Amino acid sequence: MRPKQGFSMEQKKARWGWIFVTPALILFSIFSFYPMLNAFYESFHNKNLLSLRPPRYVGWANYTYLFQSKDFLNSVKNTAIFTLGTFIPLLVVSLILAAFIMSIKKFQRFFQMAFYAPAVLSSVVAALIWLLIFDPRGIANQGLNTLFGTSGVNYNWLSKPGMLRLSTIIVYFWKYVGYFTIVFVSGIGSIPHNLHEAALIDGANRWQDFWYITFPLLKPTTLLVSIMAMIQCLKTFSTQYLFITAGAPTRPINVITLNIYYTAIKDHRIGRASAMSILLFLVMFFFTYLQLKVSKTEEVTYM
Amino acid sequence: MKKFSVLTVLVLLMSLIAGTAAAQVIELTYWTHTDDNRTMIENRYIEEFEKMYPNVKIKRVVNEASKMGDLVLTAFSAQNAPDIFNLPIEQEFGYMKHYRVAPVNYEAAGYKGAEDLISKYQAGTFDSVMMDGEIYGLPLELTNWAIYINKRVFWDAGLDPETDFPKTWEEMADIADKLTLRDGEIITRRGFDFRYPYYLVSVLPMVEQLGGKLISDDGKTAIVNEEAWIQVLEFMRDWGPNGRNLGSPTYAAARKIFNKDNNDMGMCLSGFYQQGRIKVDNPEFYESGDWMVVPFPVFENAVNDVAASYYGHYLMVNAQTTPEKQEWAWRFIAYMLDHPMEYLLTVNIIQPRNDLLEDENFMNLPYMDVFMGDMERAHVVFMHENGYQFERFITEAVEDVMLSDVPVEEALESLRERIQEVLDDEY
Repeated sequence: MRPKQGFSMEQKKARWGWIFVTPALILFSIFSFYPMLNAFYESFHNKNLLSLRPPRYVGWANYTYLFQSKDFLNSVKNTAIFTLGTFIPLLVVSLILAAFIMSIKKFQRFFQMAFYAPAVLSSVVAALIWLLIFDPRGIANQGLNTLFGTSGVNYNWLSKPGMLRLSTIIVYFWKYVGYFTIVFVSGIGSIPHNLHEAALIDGANRWQDFWYITFPLLKPTTLLVSIMAMIQCLKTFSTQYLFITAGAPTRPINVITLNIYYTAIKDHRIGRASAMSILLFLVMFFFTYLQLKVSKTEEVTYM
Repeated sequence: MKKFSVLTVLVLLMSLIAGTAAAQVIELTYWTHTDDNRTMIENRYIEEFEKMYPNVKIKRVVNEASKMGDLVLTAFSAQNAPDIFNLPIEQEFGYMKHYRVAPVNYEAAGYKGAEDLISKYQAGTFDSVMMDGEIYGLPLELTNWAIYINKRVFWDAGLDPETDFPKTWEEMADIADKLTLRDGEIITRRGFDFRYPYYLVSVLPMVEQLGGKLISDDGKTAIVNEEAWIQVLEFMRDWGPNGRNLGSPTYAAARKIFNKDNNDMGMCLSGFYQQGRIKVDNPEFYESGDWMVVPFPVFENAVNDVAASYYGHYLMVNAQTTPEKQEWAWRFIAYMLDHPMEYLLTVNIIQPRNDLLEDENFMNLPYMDVFMGDMERAHVVFMHENGYQFERFITEAVEDVMLSDVPVEEALESLRERIQEVLDDEY
């Protein structure tokens, strides 16, 4: 039977779909898509943020400058170190924690809340807490001195380049591991229970059940977490910014986003900062595409 | 129907009148940084001003000092800037250079002209805000730094603060070493420590004492007198954890813990305003008189007697706002600044007006003679459109030698390269 208005059920659904999606699309266009396009446009121009003069077209000059700039290349190196140092432990440890939570019978909710709690804190508060911990007279030094049976050794958490990088990684890891654990917990929870039961009936132990059943079927979640974690790490800003504001040296943790901030806001060079942000966007886009491409061959279905 | 029409016309007329009246109200937005004492008196000035001129409404917005620069910049670039604002003068320079701020409306501010205004203030007050013969800001405060000493820490180390206070940087390092207490490598009491992010105010003058400059007088060459820079960078390297381990940027800010008198800070670098903060944070310590202020030291081999640079916050008016608003903005600024003694006594900030400086109560304030003496040995903070960028580069050079074991010559070469690149860049 045809609907009275002449629209099929599918068309009706589609229309309502558009109605619901339109506000989000409009907001996305205004607050995300337009700034992205604008940044792309600005990246081919030189413009001082304070100047009233119109932007001057410079072609690829901002991009060629960046590829020769020691400062920018140092930021690329710092971002790569931070991303690799944070993203891989985040992925592995959050998966282990999720498996642990799902394997215990009691206190599941408690552990979920405990691990997730740091994610609720703002980055500023998190960094301030850790600044106290990493202070030369803070508990990080005291803890290591107790652990190694030493006295008065300063591990220079906020001053030596290697330790400083490690400090930013620890803060970020601590803040986000709980969030990704919860994502994995929901992924593990969505695997049909009868698959585990079948494996156990067939004589699989808990490790075999995890490795041959849970892990392969978690592939979509692992992909989601890896993309989200990597993008988050590439966009890291506030931890480094607050550490530098507190006196930590800039050079070892001057990541790309921080360099963008300095170039645009402190140096007023919005064209050059836009070129940096476009390059960062392309890197994120490339890795996301790569991860999707690699994982597409083995999509999971529960039959 | 006729009644209804008459009523409609009346309502329309009334709304038109109300609209016209509303349009006559001048609304000014004033952005400034946090300071509870200043907020208290300026809110009162606003109330008084609005009473005197009922057609003017002023909205005072307070922002954290560290965020003010970013907020004002983004507001200006989005064409949504406040009518009145204040920033450190080295940040305001770019706003003048790009004509984003309006010259002082002398008549509205109560002066006959530029000369009249200049004559009311200490010589040199307007040098940093003058361009093409026009003055672009009125000083909210001018500040210079000297050395605050906690006498109790000196006594604890067996020193007499009245005679043993440091006059040279070499003495500063030796005395700081005597005052410093450590638990192994970890400092538990510092003798003195620098104000690390503010290299243009306090470290560049140390270079100038030795005859060095950040850029040449013609503005084309970075790093003048390499030896002076090397000596200062070596001094900073030796100060840090890899040298004599006297302090580091990663410890808590010296001037903040100084007030607490917890036997963990012997000396710090700060302005006259610090006294107000000691009074609030630790009245017992303030009243005890167990603190004193001494001049900014010089190197033993100094060729110039230069004290820490003075810097200021100037009140400026947005040039993109209407001429009428600009006029009222200057009128309001002048009204606020007509209370220099109250600013001094309540907020501990100095507005360099002659009537204030000539007031006999002014020089009788604690250690004002030290600050005024240092002011005479100082010059205004380094001003350049890229001043902040240069300060960041100096910061990184000092951090490199102090914390990252980078050789002094290498750090200096990197500093020179980076500043020269900015000078040569025609962005």
